[in-house]
Amino acid sequence: MNKELEHSFVAQLEENQNIVHKICRLYTNNSDAHNDLFQEITIQLWRAYPKFRGESKFSTWMYRVALNTAITLYRKSKRSISTQDFEGVSFKISADPYDDTVEQQLKLMYSAVKDLNDIDKALIFLYLEDKNYKEISETLGITEVNARVKMNRIKEKLRTILNP
Amino acid sequence: MDELELLKKQWQSKEQELPKLSFADIYKMLLKKSSSIVKWIFYISIAEIVFWTLLAFLVPESSTKFSDDIGLHNILLGVNILNYLVFGFFIILFYRNYRKISTTDSLKNLMGNILRTRKTVKYFVVYNITTSIMLIVGINIYYFLNQDIVFRFMTEDYGIVNISQERFMKMFFAIQILFGILMIGFVMLFYRLVYGILLRRLSKNYKELEKIEV
Repeated sequence: MNKELEHSFVAQLEENQNIVHKICRLYTNNSDAHNDLFQEITIQLWRAYPKFRGESKFSTWMYRVALNTAITLYRKSKRSISTQDFEGVSFKISADPYDDTVEQQLKLMYSAVKDLNDIDKALIFLYLEDKNYKEISETLGITEVNARVKMNRIKEKLRTILNP
Repeated sequence: MDELELLKKQWQSKEQELPKLSFADIYKMLLKKSSSIVKWIFYISIAEIVFWTLLAFLVPESSTKFSDDIGLHNILLGVNILNYLVFGFFIILFYRNYRKISTTDSLKNLMGNILRTRKTVKYFVVYNITTSIMLIVGINIYYFLNQDIVFRFMTEDYGIVNISQERFMKMFFAIQILFGILMIGFVMLFYRLVYGILLRRLSKNYKELEKIEV
């Protein structure tokens, strides 16, 4: 196998690993599963890498492969516990460290996002990553209009979960 | 949508406490084996094709001799040739579908391609079960119409004696039917278990995506 290719791949993945970690965190519920999924995404990325010709940014290309793996290819481990691990998620509120209602709100929102189904979660994830509707629709294989409509519905859903 | 905007802001500020893997950690991962659902579907499908192909070869010599004796030689030969042609056709289809599966495709296309691969193998198995049933029924009708010859050959070849033809034929057909039902039941159970587990989540998500497009 080509050492140079391996090296450039690992270096790029190392630099962009946060994207994969965020997906793993959204789609799994414990650190074992998180690591498993990260492993599987790495393998799928590496397999697809020879076809990556740099027409898009490495990170853009990663979204697609990583989400595809999380939603489609990855087999959840048998003992997947559906409890949310809040410990693993911690947001540092830099603006006002004493205001824990904001932190509380964030946690609630995050757990609501985690409770969404796989597809809705993917849409929200891409939204959180500040992807535009064109990118979202291309990643998921739906039209831009439908992506927009669907996103509004999910936001509506989240709103009712948080403010019943 | 304040909370979501808030989450988005935090999300982007990269202040989530995320694990940090080193170059070496990631490098090690390249050497590990994938356990993706596609790989499993691919292996199981290959196993199925091999299984049905072997089954066609594994017909015991004595059984072949028996069918030859009874005058089914040409019909069975024709059925076999046709069968292999269909097998070849399915293998080509299956391989082409599998090649189409690419993680760089859009989510919906990827799922569609996986489900299509699965469907090809499903048709292959349905074809096999159907032809097996038809063959079993057909041959048994033939046996039924030619009971005298069957009984004669059975007693000559296998030394079955001390039993009336009527009783023997009853037992003979009972065994044939029981065996047929057991085999089909087993295959169906296998499918429910294996693919039920593998594909449940995938088809659920695929339906979800289809719903968006309506």
